[in-house]
Amino acid sequence: MKKKSLKIAMVGLFLLSLFTSGCASQTNSTNAKQNEKASVKFPTKPIELIVPFAAGGGTDLVARALAESMKSELGKDVVVINKTGGSGAVGMNEGLHSKADGYTLTMATREIVSLPLLELAPFKTTDFKFIGNMNRDPALLVVSTKSKYKKFEDLVDDIKANPGKLKFASSSTPSLYGIPFAQAANLKFATIPFQGTAQAVVEVLGGRAEFGLYGPGEVTAQIKSGDLRPLAIMAEERLEGDLKDIPTMKEKGVNVGWAGTYRGLAVPGDTPDEVVNVLEDAVEKAVNDQKFIDFMAKQNLFIDYLNAADFEAMIEKDITALDPIVQAANEQK
Amino acid sequence: MDSFIQLLQGFETALTWWNLLYCLIGVTIGMLVGVLPGLGPTTATALLLPITYSMEPVTAIIMLAGIYYGSLYGGTITSVLINTPGEAASVITCFDGYPLAKQGRAGTALGVAAIGSFIGGTVSIIGLAFIAPPLAKLALGFGPPEFFALIVVGMLMVIGLMGKSLIRGLISALLGLILALVGMDTISGAVRFNLGQDFLMNGLDFVTITMGLFGLAEVLIGLEERMNAGKPAKVKGLLPRRDEWKPTLKAIGRGTGLGFLIGLIPGSNSVIPAILSYSWEKKIAKDPSRFGKGAIEGVAGPETANNAYSGSALIPLFTLGIPSSPTIAILFGAFIMHGLTPGPTLFQTNPNIVWAIIASMFIGNLILVIMNLPMAGMWGKIAMIPTKLLYPIILIFSVIGAYSVNNNLWDIWIMFIFGIMGYLMKKLDFPIAPLVLTFVLGELLETSLLQSLIYFNGNVFGFFQRPISGTLLVISLLVLIISIFTSLKKKRGILASDVEM
Repeated sequence: MKKKSLKIAMVGLFLLSLFTSGCASQTNSTNAKQNEKASVKFPTKPIELIVPFAAGGGTDLVARALAESMKSELGKDVVVINKTGGSGAVGMNEGLHSKADGYTLTMATREIVSLPLLELAPFKTTDFKFIGNMNRDPALLVVSTKSKYKKFEDLVDDIKANPGKLKFASSSTPSLYGIPFAQAANLKFATIPFQGTAQAVVEVLGGRAEFGLYGPGEVTAQIKSGDLRPLAIMAEERLEGDLKDIPTMKEKGVNVGWAGTYRGLAVPGDTPDEVVNVLEDAVEKAVNDQKFIDFMAKQNLFIDYLNAADFEAMIEKDITALDPIVQAANEQK
Repeated sequence: MDSFIQLLQGFETALTWWNLLYCLIGVTIGMLVGVLPGLGPTTATALLLPITYSMEPVTAIIMLAGIYYGSLYGGTITSVLINTPGEAASVITCFDGYPLAKQGRAGTALGVAAIGSFIGGTVSIIGLAFIAPPLAKLALGFGPPEFFALIVVGMLMVIGLMGKSLIRGLISALLGLILALVGMDTISGAVRFNLGQDFLMNGLDFVTITMGLFGLAEVLIGLEERMNAGKPAKVKGLLPRRDEWKPTLKAIGRGTGLGFLIGLIPGSNSVIPAILSYSWEKKIAKDPSRFGKGAIEGVAGPETANNAYSGSALIPLFTLGIPSSPTIAILFGAFIMHGLTPGPTLFQTNPNIVWAIIASMFIGNLILVIMNLPMAGMWGKIAMIPTKLLYPIILIFSVIGAYSVNNNLWDIWIMFIFGIMGYLMKKLDFPIAPLVLTFVLGELLETSLLQSLIYFNGNVFGFFQRPISGTLLVISLLVLIISIFTSLKKKRGILASDVEM
């Protein structure tokens, strides 16, 4: 009896280890083979998509939805792999140093620009070749519905009347939203950094911080329940859908450009053009897939497709836009 | 009453064969990843999330939630059997669980943990079902200053768990604090002690450190002891002795309350209620010297507390739409993936889904306790696996666990380094638990202190102007002062005298 149950336990453990190692090694096997110069015959095997952030986050959601839709375009599996660490630097670096054959794609978020500028990444933004952009979300300024701020002006006036007194609960360090907002409107407020939006939102809901700037998808629940009030977005144009009545800061006389996050695809710089073209094509078709469109709309994630050339131009523009913000962040250190 | 009827309707959905099956699958996977040191619920839910893509939303979330709370049942097992915690909350369980196993009472330790987990888990789900919204609003009042004060209390409790030598314990605790400094400072974004390596930018990971310090070090020490170190005692019954029932049930009651309350606070972690529960049990025990040598309450309290924590930690998710731990963040992602926005509106827009999930958690907990009680005896026998088989298994799982944290090879090397460090610490008689506990609390301590100081404009006395943080800090200060005073007088402080384990 003793022996028997022992055996069962051992077999169980063994099977589980097989299962887990199977899940893990899936990652590596795809890199191994395939040496031939990629011709038009691409893809001939599953493609790996590196998400440099944790599962369940915004970037992960976009990646998984994209992978589903690209799969039907390319006829091969697109496998999402989360490689976390270094605020995205680890996963992006690994994507950059993978074989330049188009079988390893990397989600390119705004961190692909900000991390090198902040000297927190071992690569340059321009080391990558950009395939296309899927999504772009502006930052949304929110306050608690219990607060006295009904309009954007109320908040700005109060910040001006009490310089340095009001609190901004930031979801990251440095705040790529808070700094340009302060610079453009010439405002002084205290920035309290938190790790991630969830913790920061608690501060606004609890009334300890007066306002916050987050991605629209990250605060949908609280806006719908009437706990948070959206006041303005940091974008050139208004959003569509539920948030179409929210004014841009520009409309309200604050001369601030776009701030937020974007999510596109990148590959190592020396990936052959033929392969890039196939991928670019697949991304374009995927973002027009009804399944993808429905999914994104539900999450308050905004589709903004840019092809390879436009995405690259946008990245270059963003490098110039982020530079002064990073300078300001370094001064605060 | 309204919610009661809705809950019954929830049971109707949760009890369909399909949902029942996935609830069973979920809690079984949860149990197993809890058992495997290193492979935590966060990794497991993340791995299985894509598989649920094609499932019905209710079914998918019932399964993923099952992994989440099921893993806490499993985490106990390795702590008790091989002195290697499966997840952070079970570090404390090693203190008394492992000695119990050495006495041949592994079955009892696991049985009590299962009963406690069931009670704690069920009570906190009742709380989630019926009194969640007002509680969640109250918890919003808990900001960085209150958090800081709570962690100070936790740190103070760690001193009470030092082991034989206070000095060695303090050195170990300080090492933990220093290790917590590695990586990016959340306030300024400056990167510290990363040796120029990107993989260290976000700091060290708890799993890799624990796998090394506990698992690998245990193997190394064991190798030295020539494999066949005595036959372990026979596994006796699953239930405590008759005279142990009363204190055990009381410990379970206290653990439930403690875990439930701390779970409400967004951003807390399950280590805090476990530490507090253990210290509480030790403080009020008639004979505190039993602790560390196999006190049943020392297993019952913390194990109950972390399960009560797991249920109430879902309250911020359901009532505020805020995921308060990494695993819950993945659950949050699962809701979103299936087109549901977690938060207060979910009760109005999709009441049947919410209540079905809550109902499934009652069922899941019941399945877990039914699975665990008889299995406790079976697990107990694993302690008798010859070490020449057991050690390679520990080694394999430590490596897999470390790799699965970030899907990164570097973490395996870090784990090996900490394995050697753990070996040396054991050789030199340094306790390992203080290091791990201060490491977990250290980052929270630093961040919440700095965040509070920005709130207070740099004024340290700001802490004392807020009722909760003020009270907690004053109590901590008093305890410290009294113990220093008495130790000067009697050369042995209150805290220090507790320490003799």
